[in-house]
Amino acid sequence: MISQVFILTTSGDHLIYKDFRGEAGVDAIRTFYEAVTALSGDQPPVVMVGLGVQSHKGMHFVHVKQGGLYWAASTKSNPSPFTVIEFLNRLAALTKDYCGSLSEKSVRMNFALIYELLDEMVDYGYIQTTSTDMLKNFIQTETMSSKPFSLFELGNVGLFGAETQQSKVAPSAATSRPLMFTRGDQGGNEIFVDVIERLSVIIGSNGVVMKADIEGEIRVKCYLPGCSEMRIGLNEELSIGKSQLRGYGMAVRMDECSFHQAVKLDEFDAYRILKICPSQGEQTVMQYQLCDDLPCAPPFRLFPTVERDIGNSVALNVSVTLPIPKGSVSLSQELSSPDQSAELQSKNKALQWDIPRFPGGAQLSALFKLEVPGLSSASLQEVGPVSLCFELPKHTCTGLQVRFLRLTPTQPGSSQRWVRYVTHSDSYTIRI
Amino acid sequence: MTDSKYFTTNKKGEIFELKAELNNEKKEKRKEAVKKVIAAMTVGKDVSSLFPDVVNCMQTDNLELKKLVYLYLMNYAKSHPLCTDCEDPNPLIRALAVRTMGCIRVDKITEYLCEPLRKCLKDEDPYVRKTAAVCVAKLHDINAQMVEDQGFLDSLRDLIADSNPMVVANAVAALSEISESHPNSNLLDLNPQNINKLLTALNECTEWGQIFILDCLSNYNPKDEREAQSICERVTPRLSHANSAVVLSAVKVLMKFLELLPKDSDYYITLLKKLSPPLVTLLSGEPEVQYVALRNINLIVQKRPEILKQEIKVFFVKYNDPIYVKLEKLDIMIRLASQANIAQVLAELKEYATEVDVDFVRKAVRAIGRCAIKVEQSAERCVSTLLDLIQTKVNYVVQEAIVVIRDIFRKYPNKYESIIATLCENLDSLDEPDARAAMIWIVGEYAERIDNADELLESFLEGFHDESTQVQLTLLTAIVKLFLKKPSETQELVQQVLSLATQDSDNPDLRDRGYIYWRLLSTDPVTAKEVVLSEKPLISEETDLIEPTLLDELICHIGSLASVYHKPPNAFVEGSHGIHRKHLPIQHGSSGPAAPVDQPQVIPSQGDLLGDLLNLDLGPPVNVPQVCSMQMGAVDLLGGGLDSLVSDPIIIMHPTLCGWKNIIYVLLSNSWSGPGLISVDFLLLLAVLNFCVLQVWLPAAKAKGLEISGTFSRRQGHMYMDMSFTNKALQHMTDFAIQFNKNSFGMIPTTPLAVHTPLMPNQSIDISLPLNTIGPVMKMDPLNNLQVAVKNNIDVFYFSCLIPLSIFFVEDGKMERQVFLATWKDIPNENELQYQIKECHLNADTVSGKLQNNNIYTIAKRNVEGQDMLYQSLKLTNGIWILAELRIQPGNPNYTVKNTLNEKVCPNLWPVLYNIIWMQLWMYYS
Repeated sequence: MISQVFILTTSGDHLIYKDFRGEAGVDAIRTFYEAVTALSGDQPPVVMVGLGVQSHKGMHFVHVKQGGLYWAASTKSNPSPFTVIEFLNRLAALTKDYCGSLSEKSVRMNFALIYELLDEMVDYGYIQTTSTDMLKNFIQTETMSSKPFSLFELGNVGLFGAETQQSKVAPSAATSRPLMFTRGDQGGNEIFVDVIERLSVIIGSNGVVMKADIEGEIRVKCYLPGCSEMRIGLNEELSIGKSQLRGYGMAVRMDECSFHQAVKLDEFDAYRILKICPSQGEQTVMQYQLCDDLPCAPPFRLFPTVERDIGNSVALNVSVTLPIPKGSVSLSQELSSPDQSAELQSKNKALQWDIPRFPGGAQLSALFKLEVPGLSSASLQEVGPVSLCFELPKHTCTGLQVRFLRLTPTQPGSSQRWVRYVTHSDSYTIRI
Repeated sequence: MTDSKYFTTNKKGEIFELKAELNNEKKEKRKEAVKKVIAAMTVGKDVSSLFPDVVNCMQTDNLELKKLVYLYLMNYAKSHPLCTDCEDPNPLIRALAVRTMGCIRVDKITEYLCEPLRKCLKDEDPYVRKTAAVCVAKLHDINAQMVEDQGFLDSLRDLIADSNPMVVANAVAALSEISESHPNSNLLDLNPQNINKLLTALNECTEWGQIFILDCLSNYNPKDEREAQSICERVTPRLSHANSAVVLSAVKVLMKFLELLPKDSDYYITLLKKLSPPLVTLLSGEPEVQYVALRNINLIVQKRPEILKQEIKVFFVKYNDPIYVKLEKLDIMIRLASQANIAQVLAELKEYATEVDVDFVRKAVRAIGRCAIKVEQSAERCVSTLLDLIQTKVNYVVQEAIVVIRDIFRKYPNKYESIIATLCENLDSLDEPDARAAMIWIVGEYAERIDNADELLESFLEGFHDESTQVQLTLLTAIVKLFLKKPSETQELVQQVLSLATQDSDNPDLRDRGYIYWRLLSTDPVTAKEVVLSEKPLISEETDLIEPTLLDELICHIGSLASVYHKPPNAFVEGSHGIHRKHLPIQHGSSGPAAPVDQPQVIPSQGDLLGDLLNLDLGPPVNVPQVCSMQMGAVDLLGGGLDSLVSDPIIIMHPTLCGWKNIIYVLLSNSWSGPGLISVDFLLLLAVLNFCVLQVWLPAAKAKGLEISGTFSRRQGHMYMDMSFTNKALQHMTDFAIQFNKNSFGMIPTTPLAVHTPLMPNQSIDISLPLNTIGPVMKMDPLNNLQVAVKNNIDVFYFSCLIPLSIFFVEDGKMERQVFLATWKDIPNENELQYQIKECHLNADTVSGKLQNNNIYTIAKRNVEGQDMLYQSLKLTNGIWILAELRIQPGNPNYTVKNTLNEKVCPNLWPVLYNIIWMQLWMYYS
């Protein structure tokens, strides 16, 4: 059972504080803040604090950090931390749905709304509901939007669902817009379907792929006020499960998938059609994994050179990180294009090579010379493995495609449907 | 204030004024206003619209004002807007009112809420009903008795059969919480019909409701395997839910019910297969979720390794994982390592060992060593990997590698000794005690294969006094081993180390170990060789498994905080100590008692590894002439690891410190039984030692590797609790604290427990805790029982011990002669007790001298008919005097004891006196 929920800024200001069970006072927040700021990077997020402090004996805090804010819950009993983490993530997502964006400013402006949300979401520490469909019946307060919305900012490539380690990729403005629940405003007829894949690859020093995983998800963000049913058709040749025999065809495979609970699967087995009544707001419709045995070769190779074997596409914001022997003092470089850059990060014992734009099918090469005083054979062992970060828009590694996207009843006026694909690197490692 | 617009008529003008006054800043004005309101109320005016303003005034320290406000509240609680809102046609408002009602945590007022709540529980709108269900839990927290009296629990139970799944879920959640604090824990009344209702609701309610229901299901014990299977079948679809909390709750139910299914059935095998994909899926979340998932998977892997044995790849570390995720993954990788996947695992570990993060690298190196010990076929590859790593010359990698190689030597003797030369090259770079000790151990153990072993060991000897105790002890033993192997060249060296250890050291452990070796070597080198170079027992593989009963309990708490901390909930949830622990269901029926689960035996410590220097395989000592009964198998003498092999608490002869003195005692007891293994000369050593009895109070197996043994003593008029803490776990221990329960003598520690440095694995630390008797007093049974709680970073542990009464004998216990005479006569006969002490051959003067050392004073001495009569007094810290008469005839001393206050002290006195006299006797003989 959740005892309290609070939202703090990174500097410790209270934005939201709600007590559900009266088990602890407001000063628990300070205890939490002290504990969380004392956490070094290598400590896990489920914090237990206050064993010594009499007033907070046995107080447990669980928190997530989103939008530069701490979203924390405290408890005195033995609840499931998954439930709490999941709930806090959901709360943050809902706040984003309702307020447009997730920032200190938007939370401050909409505090009444968030209190109202919390009130409906949690009763006496029991989570009641987090679905926007349910909640919209109860919420009376109106959103205060921090900036006017403009549809013309859509050009950006970044997708809303794509939380990458490259924070440079800004989410597109199209999706940072509050939901208009009560009135069907103009410009509200949009639906976005994003297919996002995250790729984890380990390539051995001999070029053999040692491990390759894809974690994918299909996310829907819906602004349509009255959409009763949406049908998403996926590749018809889609096989699920490891054991299924597969022919030589171009079937798309995945090992395991899970669905949002609102998804109706009656046509999935036969026609690979997902039926869903999308609630307004953002939701993950389907998640899937594929381990090993990728349908296509991994997008990057690196021997002494980096090699790409993907046609007609572009990779963005590629960055290559190479651990180097400690004590390296200087770096000289030969890069193939002026917009690339390489720098020596002596603090992390690493060399970082950034390639802002990497055309498909191209080969880039770079030669780095490091000066290491007192180099020994052992220092060479400290080199590598190389890790790559990148983003491949308009591409899925599994080959999953959305064949069609149909809405019923047919939307009046011009409803806009967007289907977008992206693949991110999660952990792409090449050993040397 | 813009509220004026609401007050249009003149009639309400008065109310408006009151309202303004109620919100006045001055306390006095507010009080006046409340009085006016009460007055108006009394004459029958309706002032209910002022409710919020009056309630506002409640926040005051002024008792008068407070009482007035309560007076108002009592009167208007019924017509409270909340109560009226409960009748509102709009269900949203009804629910809101009911929800808010539960939040007013005032006992008296809640009474007025019973009626509306009862109505809401039967409301036609499910939204209201579900809110009301939670409200019952709120009310129960405020006034449990009332909830029961009003029959709300029954109404809640009825809601389990509700048509709306949300209502069912909330009813289940409320009942679950209430039953936690309720004496009748079977409140939920889980029977097959109810379970069926829950399973039906499970498919329809929200994800959060599913969690409540699944958690509740996991508390149910199906009556046979068929029922268990049918529940499992209906729960299995939840495994593909997108909400990880739902998945984990479902996993918990399945893990519990798996116990009930026959192991060879098809269904059992399919179910195991179905469990693995969702667990793997959990690892694709954010790092926070991953961490929680990994902690749970760690438990599952220990319980049922077969579920994930094919999936070891998903636990390979990603370079961008946070360090806490990496460490957890590494742990699970080792648990899953087997012959089938060892090549992959090893390749991974080797990569990790060159990473940046020091902690992670160390753990990776250690993991390679564990692989070698766990999978015999891989040992060779592991060793060569470790050698590669040593070549990197990265300091901490080398040190960690040497420590694990020592373990590998222990596991596979006479196999890999060829690498010793490589190890010796790194001697100079070792700066951590662990690594130095490991290296010295290797040099000593394999001295005959190392040509320059004497030079190597000699080089350590230079800074002998700057080394840590661990290194000093190891070095001492290593040189003795070397001497026994190459006596001709190393005589000088052994002399040097023995004199360093015995003459120049302040550390009693070191000094005494030195003495033992010295005597052993000078008395009988052949025996010494047998003793010191005896065969060592092999070490076992799994050393850090969770103890099976705890594991089973934690499995019942999968998905909860307990599973993240790996501690049972009562260790960290306040007020849950009385709650019965959860157990895995036990398979019953045709198959009879469940076959013992095939689990690796848990060895709570790696104790034999580090401090183990000479291993004596002594049989149980014969004819132990002491109060204790010793049970010894193979005794690891110098490592202080005696106890890990002994199940019952044992008593070890011991001065103030632990460890080596066991030897003397064992040797001593042997020498009494048979031909003189040890010379009388050796026995004289005992005379130097101030013996007392040290007892294992808390065995390591009961305290997650922390072992506490100790004794009480009185020195220079102060009482001390002399304890020895030994860490037999694999992790270091910090944050020690101690607390006593109330006890008969009001004994409390004078200072907090002073353990400032972390206690590393296999180290022990000796603590003298000063005590006084100014704490709260509570009579214990037996009188000298003391209950102690010791806390460290791992957990809190409890044990109880008996305080020897002698430490309460104060120094000013000598009674005036006249007073003594008068008191002796005054004490009634029923306060008198008599004992006989057998086999005491001391004369009166010796006895009285020795007793005086223990603050038992002789007041007078007489000789009557050839018998010596001693009259003695002693005083306890709590002021009780005890008087005694000791009659000594040769071979038959007789004690008459009287005390001035309470005869119940006396029974305890007997063992005390017995001990004192016996001890002195013993000393005399030696």
